Amino acid sequence: MPPVELIVNGLVQSCIYMTMAFGMVLVFSILGILNWTHGQFYMLGAFVVYYAVTAAGIPFPLSILIAGAVIGGLGMLVEKYVIERVNVPGLGLLYVTGATIALNFFFEGGAGMVFGLDDKGLYSALPGVLELGSFNITYQKIAVIAFTLIVMITMYVVLNFTKIGLAIRAAAQEPSAASLYGIKVGRLSIIVMGIGCALAGMAGAIIAPVYMVNPFIGALPLMMALLAIIIGGIGSLTGAIVGGLILGFFTSIVPYYLGYISEIALFVTVIVILLVRPQGLFGVAIRR
Amino acid sequence: MKLGNYKKLLPKIVVGLVIALIFIIPVFTTSLVTLSKFIVIGFWAIAAMGFMLIMRTGQISLGQAAFMGLGGYTSAVLMIKLGWPFWPGFLLAGIVAGVVALAVGVVAVRAGPIAFSIITLALAEIMRILAVEWEPVTNGIKGLVVTPPFPIYLDYYFILILVTITALVFWQIDRGRLGSLFRVIAVNPTLAESEGIPLTKYKVIAFTIAAVFTGFAGSFYAHFLGVMSPYMFGLWQSIQALMMGIVGGISSLVAGPIIGSVILNTLNDLLSRLPIYSIKPTLFGAIVLLVLLFLPKGTGLIDLWRMFWNKVFREKSVTVASPN
Repeated sequence: MPPVELIVNGLVQSCIYMTMAFGMVLVFSILGILNWTHGQFYMLGAFVVYYAVTAAGIPFPLSILIAGAVIGGLGMLVEKYVIERVNVPGLGLLYVTGATIALNFFFEGGAGMVFGLDDKGLYSALPGVLELGSFNITYQKIAVIAFTLIVMITMYVVLNFTKIGLAIRAAAQEPSAASLYGIKVGRLSIIVMGIGCALAGMAGAIIAPVYMVNPFIGALPLMMALLAIIIGGIGSLTGAIVGGLILGFFTSIVPYYLGYISEIALFVTVIVILLVRPQGLFGVAIRR
Repeated sequence: MKLGNYKKLLPKIVVGLVIALIFIIPVFTTSLVTLSKFIVIGFWAIAAMGFMLIMRTGQISLGQAAFMGLGGYTSAVLMIKLGWPFWPGFLLAGIVAGVVALAVGVVAVRAGPIAFSIITLALAEIMRILAVEWEPVTNGIKGLVVTPPFPIYLDYYFILILVTITALVFWQIDRGRLGSLFRVIAVNPTLAESEGIPLTKYKVIAFTIAAVFTGFAGSFYAHFLGVMSPYMFGLWQSIQALMMGIVGGISSLVAGPIIGSVILNTLNDLLSRLPIYSIKPTLFGAIVLLVLLFLPKGTGLIDLWRMFWNKVFREKSVTVASPN
């Protein structure tokens, strides 16, 4: 049995991966493409909250919302001015992948030029430790878990019980039929991109006090979110959540026993899952 | 010969002169710096061609660095740890890269184009971790120091011949039956499958061929650099191949990557003199975005040149080559 702290760390990491993967799958379900810039939105969210807290003196919970709003807006701009223009029918996949990967490096390099390359810490945001008998949890980690729960419940309610959620689900299932019923799929995809990117930005913002903030923090969560998506099945929201949960524990508890081999074990696990089920655990065999 | 024919002949003469010039460069200069630049350009041209061959089948590989590094490490380990000479290690490097590509490709291709990108990305990352951690074989982060097998001008001819062979093989593939199969798979997989074309098979073939040539190039590059370190497996390496391919032109398999490699490597050289650290990814990303956004779809700089050429020398209206 691994130490409890390790399980908590695994849970915290899964929360971040889940939020990232959820946002990516949400965008995928409408646009049919993956947004490879997602990791950099996470990184930019962390920077927004860092500067909001240290430079502007805005309280931490409020600056998370600000990060969400800023990054969501940025995501909408990216969708409107980049993705929509290169998403040509037939070969959209190649163009959008190329364009979003280019954007990924544009943002990473740009953040390095603007904010500098050194590590920035935000430890003062939520100090304190919750003592629970044999082990302790910092309030920051509790905040991450609570935040993810709130986000997931909110997304569940929005997707299932509101009008826009109905529109999103309809457009994800059958875009042409949805537009026949008066849903503006183009505008909807911008909104969904905004939501997905805001999730990434807020994930980066909430985790910023736990880890360092620097221009390169976006790569690992992106990688893990992508692996979570293929484990869970591309296009499945449940799959993204389960995949994120699996990966969070894989990257925290398995190294305790296996060391660096765990990364290779992770890769082999993904390969085995794909060998048995090429569409992922929760995926449907054919989409669009 | 009629005078009007010069318009047809001129491009061939220009291309021939350029090729001849490239072949006799070591006669004029044997400076290490100049020739190294050409060698780097040649190496990246092969890497970008490999990337484009995979892209021909409608998939984006984000793990070309895995095969560069695999080729490099294979021949470096054989040379340092087992004392093999250069040539058998070089040949085995391509074979090892091909075998790994075949094994991973069979799984990755079945999972669809998006999962393919993710798995190739993960493959390069796993290779990097292995290279860092498997110290008895790879010397960890310090890397393996190999002796260059040839003097620099022979290195130059070596990479020139390697680029030529790769270009000829890819050109023949593109012209022939395999090329048409790749194109129909990329543009209309449903139609291809209903015509009885096994999609997985041809996608894996493209992936494997690309990996073999990238492995050869990586093996040579490791010997040329003199050191093989896990840096070779970095994501930025794979992305550079992607960027050179896209900037050169998505519609062209051979000339585009070469042009892209020339342009981006020259730019790389200029930028590394600047004291600004992360300007390189910023600028490269911006260039790729601009090419994708503002040039006609399916074209890159090579087609821009073609359009310019046609406008100047032929007054006919020109149709731009459609993607694939």
